[in-house]
Amino acid sequence: MLAEIGLSALAIAFALAVYAAAVSALGGRKQLARWQLSGRNAALLTFPALVLAAAVLVIALMTEQYQLSYVYSVTDPQTPALYRFTALWGSQRGSLLFWSLLMSLFTFTAIALNWRAERRLMPYAIATMMATLAFFLGLSLFLENPFERWWLLPGAAPGAQEVSSALIPPLAVAPSEAALRAGAQGLNPLLRHFGMVIHPPMLYLGFVGFTIPFAFALAALAAGELSSGWIQATRRWSLIAWIFLSLGLILGGRWAYDVLGWGGYWGWDPVENAAFLPWLVGTAFIHSAMIQEKRGMLKLWNMLLVIAAFSAVMFGTFATRSGVIESVHSFARSEVGFPMLAFWAVITLIALALLLWRWGRGELRDERQFANLLSRESLFVLNNVVFIALFIAIFWGSFGLPIISELVFDREVTIGAETFEFFVVPLFIAMYVLMGVAPLSAWGATSLPRLGAALRPPLLLTALSVLALALSGTVLLVATAGYGAVLFAAYVALCEIYRGVKARRRLEESWPRALLALVRRNQRRYGGYIVHLGVTVIGIGIIGSTIFQTEVQHTLERGGSVAVRDYRLRYDDFIRARAVDGRMMNISVVTLSRDGREIARMRPRIDDYEQMPMTIAGAHSTLENDFYVLLIGGDRERAAFRIYINPLVNLVWWGGLLLIVGTVIAVYPKVSRQRKRETAG
Amino acid sequence: MMLSAITRELDFAAARRWTWRILVALFAVCASLGIGRAQENRASDTAVIRVAERMYCPVCENIPLDECQTTACLEWKDEIAAQLAAGRNPQEVINSFVARFGDHVVGVPQDPLIRALTFALPLLATLLALGIGLRGFRRFAGSKQLSLDAETTVDADLSDASYRQRLEQDLRALR
Repeated sequence: MLAEIGLSALAIAFALAVYAAAVSALGGRKQLARWQLSGRNAALLTFPALVLAAAVLVIALMTEQYQLSYVYSVTDPQTPALYRFTALWGSQRGSLLFWSLLMSLFTFTAIALNWRAERRLMPYAIATMMATLAFFLGLSLFLENPFERWWLLPGAAPGAQEVSSALIPPLAVAPSEAALRAGAQGLNPLLRHFGMVIHPPMLYLGFVGFTIPFAFALAALAAGELSSGWIQATRRWSLIAWIFLSLGLILGGRWAYDVLGWGGYWGWDPVENAAFLPWLVGTAFIHSAMIQEKRGMLKLWNMLLVIAAFSAVMFGTFATRSGVIESVHSFARSEVGFPMLAFWAVITLIALALLLWRWGRGELRDERQFANLLSRESLFVLNNVVFIALFIAIFWGSFGLPIISELVFDREVTIGAETFEFFVVPLFIAMYVLMGVAPLSAWGATSLPRLGAALRPPLLLTALSVLALALSGTVLLVATAGYGAVLFAAYVALCEIYRGVKARRRLEESWPRALLALVRRNQRRYGGYIVHLGVTVIGIGIIGSTIFQTEVQHTLERGGSVAVRDYRLRYDDFIRARAVDGRMMNISVVTLSRDGREIARMRPRIDDYEQMPMTIAGAHSTLENDFYVLLIGGDRERAAFRIYINPLVNLVWWGGLLLIVGTVIAVYPKVSRQRKRETAG
Repeated sequence: MMLSAITRELDFAAARRWTWRILVALFAVCASLGIGRAQENRASDTAVIRVAERMYCPVCENIPLDECQTTACLEWKDEIAAQLAAGRNPQEVINSFVARFGDHVVGVPQDPLIRALTFALPLLATLLALGIGLRGFRRFAGSKQLSLDAETTVDADLSDASYRQRLEQDLRALR
């Protein structure tokens, strides 16, 4: 019964989405208010329908309905309740349904917030959002149905393979519950981590979120409403998507660090890169949208960026789900690849065709022109060049070259960290330098002496820092240049915040009160500075943990020890134990000392699942570094360990937190103001 | 007497300002020394890892060899150790694997044409984007209408400009 309810809800949501897309587009084109309202209502109804469908699947997962082949493939009787719930997005079919649910949630919210304020755009925006939703629901319904059940065909021999089907095949019977329960496969061990509870939803929210700016951009192109009004709604949604995507990337890094067992958090894997690409374009757009809002410039460029961000999202989804790229992050090969590629190509072409049409009619002409190379808008354009160059380099290395090499030269190639770092290091240094200079220049025009005067304090502090670093032994050119650029950007943000607080202190306010009042007064500006600070803290963490990572491997006898830098690691014991979920745990017990004092006891281990071993690191974390140890193998008498010392790695996570806090501060007031305006309207 | 009071007041203000400046400079130096203390130049006694981290698993796509625990990778690591022990340098070891298994076992393509393509396209794209941008700037800067006139600065975002102006007035008043 559960499966029938879920399937019906899914089918109804699909029908509603198709109807809403068609009626909204026609209503917008023919200016028929009744059609527009009907389309809007159908779009709103997709959300409760999908809540019902997802709720049914969650209930099936929690109550062990193994006749549903999805439940059978991602859980087993030993799976803990938390991972039963998160199994909703643990595999292709469930995650497609989850994606659709989030898409309908975003659509629902966008309609609730923007229906009155953006009345002319909404029918087309709804049509775009619903067309996208209908596509994903179509995949769920016809290719990757999460409500398929196991059936035994009539006349099948005992022990014959069951077939998975959403509809009951003629005369088929359900297999025995006990047999299904015994054969249930359980969740992929790599996904049994707290990071996986939050990381995929955040990433999906980021991906889905970029559909909303795209829908508004397409609506603006279709409706011919190309003044800068649409960009305000678009930019706000872009920031929301950006927060989630950033959070998803950071949590993904943390998951890789904890679970994949290689001492790092970013491996330049194609699927990681596929999630990073929309982030790069989205970041470029968030900056260049400001130029259109304030100066009425870069209209064509902003449209291109919004289209590129959505296109990157669709391409990333295709790369992860089609099986075209093998990766620890990707889903298994499936039939969704070709339809996804076709949808990506069609929607991108439609958007580009509309863009070219409006451009040809001269409707995307800028209201002003660039006047000065040092103006803030010029520096933002340079920042955009850097982001797009990063995008091209990463896309080319991850997808372009491997595909061309195989198609044209019949050679398989792997593009690794060495190659990516060749491009991204100078580009990121340029990005940090621009992040420092741009906020100090003015819109319109800035003279060199004025900019120079503003740059003097942060430059002085940067010079002092670089000198101090050199004195402490950091003489590697790339590290010095990297730290210099990152610290410069950090000092600019700090100096700007300090200047503001100092000015407010004239009102007899205490330092904390002045800081709070300053941020409240201009949340967008100071939220932005906090984001910049977060990015600089991440930058310091990345430089420290990448360039100065120590990595050694040793085999130790029981009771034996090894010195690594100023630490000493002693191998104490080895325990084998079976966990409640059935995995065999090979646990080593090690003691870490520093300067002769015991500071931590760690238990790096290898968890043996039936098909896959998982290496779980032991880590001793401080702000200075992580002592990270992996058990490679061994027994009670001797064991081999891989040891990493990752300097400053924890700054990556702390910087991520700062970045999220800053973005929330920057977004929040705009949302409340918009609400007030709508309530008043 | 009044003059000396003012002077004392001024000196106090200046001293306070300089104290803050010195404290900020000390913060910058200490933070940087902290960063410097946290790291040391890379040190590893495992030559095999140094080679293996530049290579990729032949079975699992996109998994670096030094991280992979499949049987094939463990055998490859043994072979790397054997080749290094036989006196080959890391590049020679890598070349021998590429010759036998192809370019996909390393992170940087060894084939000269593919290698050139790997690096040339992103570089060209970046240079092209920069070139287009600079050409645009030069064209705009050359046009009469686009000189640094009052229009460009006055109607810049009012809230932003006025806020900055107020801040700067406050700061001037403090000096």
